[in-house]
Amino acid sequence: MTRQELDAVLARLGLDVPEAERDQIAANAHYAEAMAALVKKPRWVGAEPAHTVAFPEK
Amino acid sequence: MVPDYLTIAEAAKLIETKELSPVELVESRLARIEKLDGQLHSFIRVLPDAALAAAKTAESEIVAGRYKGPMHGIPIGLKDIYETKGVPTTGHSKVMQDHVPAADAYSVTKLRDAGSVVMGKLATHEFAFGGPSFDLPWPPACNPWDTTRFTGGSSSGTGASVPAGLVLCGTGSDTGGSIRGPAAYCGLAGIKPSYGLISRRGILPLAFSLDHAGPMAWTAEDCAIMLQAMAGHDPEDPASASPPIPDYRKALTGDVKGLRIGLIRHFYTTDNEANPATCDAIDAAAKKFEDMGASVREITLSPLAEWAACGVLIMMTEAYAIHEANLRTRFTDFGEIFRDRMVLAGLWTAADYVQALRRRRELVDELDGAMAGLDLVMTAAAPTEAPKIDEVPKFAVLDRPSLTMPFNVTGSPAMSVCCGFTDTGLPLSFQIVGKRFADATVLRAADAYERATPWRERRPSL
Repeated sequence: MTRQELDAVLARLGLDVPEAERDQIAANAHYAEAMAALVKKPRWVGAEPAHTVAFPEK
Repeated sequence: MVPDYLTIAEAAKLIETKELSPVELVESRLARIEKLDGQLHSFIRVLPDAALAAAKTAESEIVAGRYKGPMHGIPIGLKDIYETKGVPTTGHSKVMQDHVPAADAYSVTKLRDAGSVVMGKLATHEFAFGGPSFDLPWPPACNPWDTTRFTGGSSSGTGASVPAGLVLCGTGSDTGGSIRGPAAYCGLAGIKPSYGLISRRGILPLAFSLDHAGPMAWTAEDCAIMLQAMAGHDPEDPASASPPIPDYRKALTGDVKGLRIGLIRHFYTTDNEANPATCDAIDAAAKKFEDMGASVREITLSPLAEWAACGVLIMMTEAYAIHEANLRTRFTDFGEIFRDRMVLAGLWTAADYVQALRRRRELVDELDGAMAGLDLVMTAAAPTEAPKIDEVPKFAVLDRPSLTMPFNVTGSPAMSVCCGFTDTGLPLSFQIVGKRFADATVLRAADAYERATPWRERRPSL
């Protein structure tokens, strides 16, 4: 992730991140990207997430 | 003269027979805290007056014949995310340094009802996630085996105080490994129970769907005693389960004959390579289980990175949502580690979070399937002994896949068990995991292993 891309994201999120921390965050953003990629397995459109549960009947 | 080191089981025996007064025991721990905690920084707040008052109450009750059980009169520490009535519960953060709850967390009430004596509030990583941090109102806890080393986190204060004998046990929480990590690095016993077994009510959340409360103590038996006091349905915790609660201590028969254990070796030999000392120690532990009559066979699961990605993405996005308002309005009041990790959480999208939840269902089914013919699985709790505290990377939770996170994803009971020491005297550990709500089996295996090995005899020299 470039600094410019990070700065745009931070503006959208409304986070006032000190300048001194931004380069390091941008340099480590690849971890977040890699993790997102790992959870995007090919799956059937109907594959349920873990949080769809039945409501109690009473 | 009260010994420097006592387990809950040992102290309970002496207290029940009135050979040891809870007041003497608490006084001895307060003296020990005074003597040693300047090096360890395990407490952020000691409560001597309240502790002595509670000890005197316990003593009166016991003398009057109203003994409540093995937690009666036992000095405990509370990780400073457990709300404690009338006492600041800060999350080890400037952001909540003035937060004084009006009520105890549900599990704290249960511990007090069992007669426990609260000694104070223990250090934690900031909001159970950001640490070890040196820019917070209180310093990070230090490892009692070598005070230049990391305790592990986030239950860092509990990890430091129990082996040092400052308390006999303490509460922890575990969202991705925060009980098992410090238990591994500090050589104590710590169990992340089944999700929903202990109420999360009144515990500052990190991630709602991954948070587990749990006991940390010197032995598996002590964990069983503490779990007995903490476990049970809470109608006000939406995730609270209602399984029958067995007698965890009675389940400690010492017998593991016939237990079927699956060893997830690739987790720590390929996926997150452990050092030779750790691998050798786990191999020896697996052999010990076989010698005791269990069967051990290797099993293969999805790569550890997939489990870690699923859990970390869920954990960090839920944490971001919890802290979003404060992150926007007072970003630099958080410590740098916590706040910068949260920025990475903000990069993920809502779709990423849902995909992680879909992956979670798949992984839960995968472990359940793998355990169909097994009673337990076993793997590493940490890839090495405790590192130097100033060498823990800022984004540590992201750079190597977590050995503990898989069992937060699945909600399985999982325990860190000390299985030896390095040449330089630092603890090594393995992790033992059971089927959901078979916490008693996990404790039984850990206890049997402890009884068959000498590791519980060794304490840090402070």
